[in-house]
Amino acid sequence: MEDVKTISDLAQLGAGLAIGLAGSGAGLGIGIGLKGLMDAVARQPEAAGKAVGFFLLGAALAEACALYALVVALMLIGKI
Amino acid sequence: MGEHWSGYIGSLHVHWDTLITMWFAMIVLIIISLILTKNLSIIPTKMQAVSESVIRFFTNNLKEVKDGEKHIPLVASLFLFILVANLMGQLPLRLIHLKNGELASPTNDINLTAALAVMVLIYYLFYGFKEKGFKYIYHGLGIEGIITTLVDILEMITRPLSLALRLFANILAGEILVSVVLGLFALAAPVPVMLFEIFVAFIQAFVFMMLTIAYITSAVSNEH
Repeated sequence: MEDVKTISDLAQLGAGLAIGLAGSGAGLGIGIGLKGLMDAVARQPEAAGKAVGFFLLGAALAEACALYALVVALMLIGKI
Repeated sequence: MGEHWSGYIGSLHVHWDTLITMWFAMIVLIIISLILTKNLSIIPTKMQAVSESVIRFFTNNLKEVKDGEKHIPLVASLFLFILVANLMGQLPLRLIHLKNGELASPTNDINLTAALAVMVLIYYLFYGFKEKGFKYIYHGLGIEGIITTLVDILEMITRPLSLALRLFANILAGEILVSVVLGLFALAAPVPVMLFEIFVAFIQAFVFMMLTIAYITSAVSNEH
């Protein structure tokens, strides 16, 4: 811990932690959604088109949560 | 990215790059719609068929809303404007050097997305009050009624906040990703990333539109 001298060093650590944790959460969310899509398409292949549309909507919503953390991370390192 | 070419009009603080690209997107949309609606006829030409199918896309999405046709102007202009604005980020506009900041898509400025989100908030609040009157916000004086009212008031803040941040962060993240990959391995590597960003532009415009429709639906429909 000798290299950590200022608050901004800790802020960079926080930025990395924020984006890492949020990214893993969003990845899990999209993965669960994709599992649901695969189940639905395997059960009812004719509904694939509609199911893919809903999946993309849900994936975009899950991904947005990680991007909130990106905004926070950018704020922490002072780029915004 | 993240930087803007700031300036002042009178006492108003403006971002010139966002203003220029926003007006560019609006002019593109206005010219396209003027060209498409010039010679309307009963037997559609190819151009008219395309524009009619675009309008049909919105009517299909608004089918389940009460008096859905009424909301097409807002929903369609939001979708088309956000789509054109997002796609503009992939044009090589940043070859034009500014003092600081760059000409990229206007939706990478949180002020623009926040303005769009507040517009949606005012719109659905207006239709909620118009449809249900005071009952839209008043749910009785019991404990459940008061909690529902408080949650409604909280939603007035979280909904526009999440709408604005989602669009802004997606586009900003796309630009950061493109510039990171550009630094990693120039010329070849950014091409698939930029293609993905075109896909993201469509998805984000669609998500913004679908959430607007969902908010309008929750404002005008009677669940109880």
